[in-house]
Amino acid sequence: MELRKTITLAMLLALGVVLNIMESMIPIMGNIIPGSKLGLANIVVIFVIYFYGLRDGLLFSFTRVFIVGLLRTGLFNIVFLFSLSGGLLSVVCMFIAHKFTKLSIVGVSIIGAITHSIGQIIAAVFLFQTINIIYYLPYLLLLSLPTGFIIGVISEQVINQYQKIKIN
Amino acid sequence: MNKNDWILIIIIIFISFSLLLFFKLTNQESNQALVYNDNKLILTIDLTKDDKYQVMGLNGEVDIEVKNNQIRVTSETSNYHLCSKQGYISKSWETIVCLPNKIIIRVTSLDQNYDVILR
Repeated sequence: MELRKTITLAMLLALGVVLNIMESMIPIMGNIIPGSKLGLANIVVIFVIYFYGLRDGLLFSFTRVFIVGLLRTGLFNIVFLFSLSGGLLSVVCMFIAHKFTKLSIVGVSIIGAITHSIGQIIAAVFLFQTINIIYYLPYLLLLSLPTGFIIGVISEQVINQYQKIKIN
Repeated sequence: MNKNDWILIIIIIFISFSLLLFFKLTNQESNQALVYNDNKLILTIDLTKDDKYQVMGLNGEVDIEVKNNQIRVTSETSNYHLCSKQGYISKSWETIVCLPNKIIIRVTSLDQNYDVILR
């Protein structure tokens, strides 16, 4: 059982990393608003939170950011710290939203999108030592609504289909 | 999607617009801009004089232009050129962040009590 879980998580991790790389190749979002992205990898993160819980979710998110940093953006630089701070905060908040509120998967995904933005803003405030960065927060929050919604709808489909397969 | 999701969406829209309104009301015109390289102040710019400046960033030179009390980055070396695309800034809440060059340009507020810097 333990081995099965490890292998499943490893495959999901590979999927998360590939989705992240794939996303950087299709620059639709980046063209509309520079620096923004859809967050396809969040589908996998939501899946892990729903089926494996908080501890594995945090570990998963950390490892994913680490591998993406290793492959593309570099380790322990500013971009890495932004991703890590946004990623870990969104996992914690999505778990809380999933366990303790009556939000559907779409709502949980929107919570993930906005807390990812908030996490990055918090990291920026500390790294740049200026509070002025929160000027961008309302724009990021409004942008998180459509992206969180789209990712949420996809995640809902994925989780529903997976549960059907499990029963059969 | 259920009713709670819609309530969440409405709350987020409300918070966003409240923040936008707050920034709009507290944004002040200013006549001074500060340029930071890796969190160290390297240049103080007078916004009342139209001029061109050049500072060294991590990837090379960053060209800064001041015109009509506004400041912008005209050219820099980076992958996406986000900070030169951003255009002019002139208000106290606005910042230009040039991540790849580690250059930050802030417009200081005239009311110094309002100018919060975390240390």
